[in-house]
Formats: sequence, C-alpha cells, structure tokens
Amino acid sequence: MTGRVEDRREDWEGPVPVPTGATVPFWDGTLEGELRYQECDCGHRQLYPRAVCTACGAEDPLFEASEGVGTIYTYTVCHVPGEPGFGERTPYVVGAIDLAEGPRLLALLDADPDDLEIGAAVGVAFWQVSDEAAIPVFVPE
Amino acid sequence: MAEPILAGVAESDLGETPDRNWLDNAAIATVRALEDAGCQLAEVDGVAVAGGDDYMPALVLSEYLDLDEPSFLEGTEIGGSSFEHFCGHVRDAMARDEADVVVVAYGSTSKTGPGRNQSLEETHPIDGFVRPTGLFRPPGAYAMAARRHMHEYGTTEEQLAEIAVATREWAAMNPKAAQREPITVDDVLESREIAAPFNLLDCCLVSDGGGAVVLVSEEKAAELGVPEIAVAGVASTSTHRQDISEMPDMTTTGAAVTGPKAFDQAGITHDDVDVAEIYDSFTYTALVTLEDLGFCEKGEGGEFVSGGTTAPGGELPMNTQGGGLSYCHPGHFGIFVLIEAARQLRGDYEGDRQVDDAEVAVAHGTGGLLSSSSTVVLRRES
Ligand SMILES: [Zn+2]
Repeated sequence: MTGRVEDRREDWEGPVPVPTGATVPFWDGTLEGELRYQECDCGHRQLYPRAVCTACGAEDPLFEASEGVGTIYTYTVCHVPGEPGFGERTPYVVGAIDLAEGPRLLALLDADPDDLEIGAAVGVAFWQVSDEAAIPVFVPE
Repeated sequence: MAEPILAGVAESDLGETPDRNWLDNAAIATVRALEDAGCQLAEVDGVAVAGGDDYMPALVLSEYLDLDEPSFLEGTEIGGSSFEHFCGHVRDAMARDEADVVVVAYGSTSKTGPGRNQSLEETHPIDGFVRPTGLFRPPGAYAMAARRHMHEYGTTEEQLAEIAVATREWAAMNPKAAQREPITVDDVLESREIAAPFNLLDCCLVSDGGGAVVLVSEEKAAELGVPEIAVAGVASTSTHRQDISEMPDMTTTGAAVTGPKAFDQAGITHDDVDVAEIYDSFTYTALVTLEDLGFCEKGEGGEFVSGGTTAPGGELPMNTQGGGLSYCHPGHFGIFVLIEAARQLRGDYEGDRQVDDAEVAVAHGTGGLLSSSSTVVLRRES
C-alpha cells in the first residue's frame, strides 16, 4: 500500500477516468491504494502508462509500485473551475509532482495554497471516484 | 529555394459574431484576403486550415468555397501555431510547382459559439490523467509553467505584467482591438485572480472571428504586382500535447529549436529583426518565447521586457496590433500573427502604429499548452 483510498463516489461530480488499453493496470492499482508506474527492462521509467516504452520501443513495459512520495515541480491555484464539479472547490491547487522514482504526474494537491512551495515534499492519497478508478491526490508531508 | 510571397491578408469581423459559424468566418476572411491580394477565388489551388470544428477541415473549407480540384490540401492541427507550420508546407509545395495560390485560413466562434465538451469516453486515455485534476486549461497549465520560471529565474508578476501593459499601448492605436484603454502594472496585478500566478489581464481575450493569408508563388506575385513579403524561414516542433506535466522543461519551449532554424534559413540575426509578432495567449507565453528565440538570455526575459522594450517606440516592437491580450483571440491566434507581420512589412500604417522601415519580421505561433512552436521569418524583398 502506498496511499489511503477514500471513497468519494457519492459526492464526486468531476470527470472520471475511463480505463482503456495500457492505462487499465494503472487504474486497477489505484483502487488498491497503489500508485503504479512503468519500468521497462531497459531501465526507463514512465507515466502516464503507454503500450510502448518511449526510450527503447519495447511493448508493454511492466508496472512497478511507487513509494507514493515526491516533490512539487510546480503548481497553480485555480480560482476559476476548470471542469464540471469543481465549482464549489475553488480555489484549489493542481500541481506537477516529481515522484521519487522519476516520472512526473499531474495531480490535485489537497493543501492550503498559502502553505505550498516548489520543491516541497508530498505524499499520495487516493479518492475513489468510480467503481473503476481512484484519482491520485497529493498532500504535503 | 523559392520563397512563397504573402500577397494578401485579412480578418473577418472580430469580437462577437453571433450570426456566423466558424466556416462563415474562415470563408469571409478568405475572400477578403484574396481581394487584398488582387486575386480571384477561382485562382486558388490550395487551402490550409486548422481549428475548425471538423476533423477534415481542409476538405470542408474547399467544399464550402467550391474550389475546383485543389492540388494542395493541408489540415494538420497543431493548435495556434498551425498557420506558421503551414507556411513551410506551402513553401515545399510551391517548390514542386504544386500550387500557385494557397489560402491559409482560420475561423472560430470561441466567444458566442457552442463549447466543445467531449466526455472522457469519447476522448483519448491521456485525458483521464488530466481532466480529473480539475486543472483550468489553458490558463492553469501556462500558469504552472510561469510559476516554475519564477522559481528558477526570479521572474516576477510585475515583469509579466509589463508585457500586458506594452501590448495594450499598441492596442490603443488599433481600432479593431477589443481592449484599448491604457492599463498599468498595478491594474494587471489587481485584476481578478484566474489561475495563480495569472490574473485576468495576464490572459488573452476570448473572441469570435477568423483570419486568412494568401501565399502565392514568386511568379504569381510578380503578375499581381504585390509587395514581395517573402517567407524566408520556417520551422516547427512540439514538446508535448495534452498533459503539461509531459513538457520536459516548463521554462523552455520548442521556440528554442525553431527560432535558430528559421533565423538560419533566412540568414538573419536578432539585430535584423524590426518587428516581432509573438503569440501571446498569456503574458508568460510571450516572455518565454522571447527568451527561447534568443532575443535575450534564458531567464532574463523579465528584465528584458521591463521598461517598455516591446511597447511603441521600444527597442523591439512586439504584438503591434495589440496581441491576443488586447486585440482578439479566437482560439488559434497564429493566423493573426502572420497578418500583422505582413502589414507592418508593407508599411500599411501611419504614425506610431507603423514600425519605421520594417523589413524583417518574426511571426511565432504557439499551440496547445506551450505544446507546439512554429517560427516564420518574413522579409520584404521589394
Ligand atoms: Zn525500454
């Protein structure tokens, strides 16, 4: 387990991921509180998941479990909702998170905008938003 | 290599066009640009179009204009920089004698038309990693990049605001500009928060409208007797698409690659550039592009734009029609970048609006979320 899974299916009105193709194992992992990335035999690590390794072209690179910790590469504070269901949430923070293992991931940051800075340590939690997926959300460590 | 000549340019009506759809606006801009070039619709043998709400836009526009077996069809969609990108393909086609008169067109109803809201079932799987975050795009994505630049180089919100202020000074002289009232740095900083660090005045307008440019072969240009505004250099690239976190370095865009290529093709240096038309979807877009094109060192864009460098009378006149920030921004601004560059090189304007003796212009498009970059160098040959 890398992060706690919180069931938000009742009140989530935002977009819901639709697992397809190479993303299926990733979303399956989120339901178990596991943040998965792909690590190819060639050593390359990547997210979002793809059917091919972008370094060597190998097909279906295997998934590994991340520790679920990383740092904030950058972030923005959205004062205007960007998607349906986010109207009540403003201002909210979206960041690009550099995982300790390397890959970078776009994610909601569940934090007070005033307490954030680039480089700060964050850890993953999951909000289950459908029967098929939980979205990774990062909180300051 | 033979260089296409930018023979005619035009906008459709801008601002709000509730009685028009995107094709209407693209077609109206097209016939106006042809009139500007002194060309007939029947002479058009190629179209290049992007941005329309159709996945075969070149075919749709050809049909709408009832073109007779056009030999050049281009509808590659790379966002706001598509039109600069097309200039290279037109150059190649003309070098092969495949086309003599190509219309590069755009139309939109971004402001009053229907929104596009695909469900996640209909779109590609990458969206599943983007849209559930709620990121307000495009502003939030560009804002993330701007914040990283501020972190790495000490760029300030005041410096970003300088771009909005200088651009508004140009808009004040353009009757077609939507926003013409002078603004100050404080006005920008005190405007409504959109996606921090951006406030409202860091962000482009949302408009309806279209634009078109007519590119002709050198032979055709001689026949038409138009001023020879030549496409002297073109280069394009991309760094990512849908997910801003896929951008390798948010402080450097593809312009760092396309700028040197296009300048080299044209045989110019920065000192030769009289006027710069730089896609300004946001203040940061222009700032980072100026750095990447090499008008200043990486990280020094904030200092470079301070003190009216890009304003009327400044060292580098930029976005001389008021830019996407103050003139119009119907979704894809790249067509308007070319239109204004041509007009400056032709000397269409009077007084402070006209850049004196403009011979070389850089027109740079940016598409997606800082995703695609296309640089065009235009040069007046006669
Ligand atoms: Zn590999």
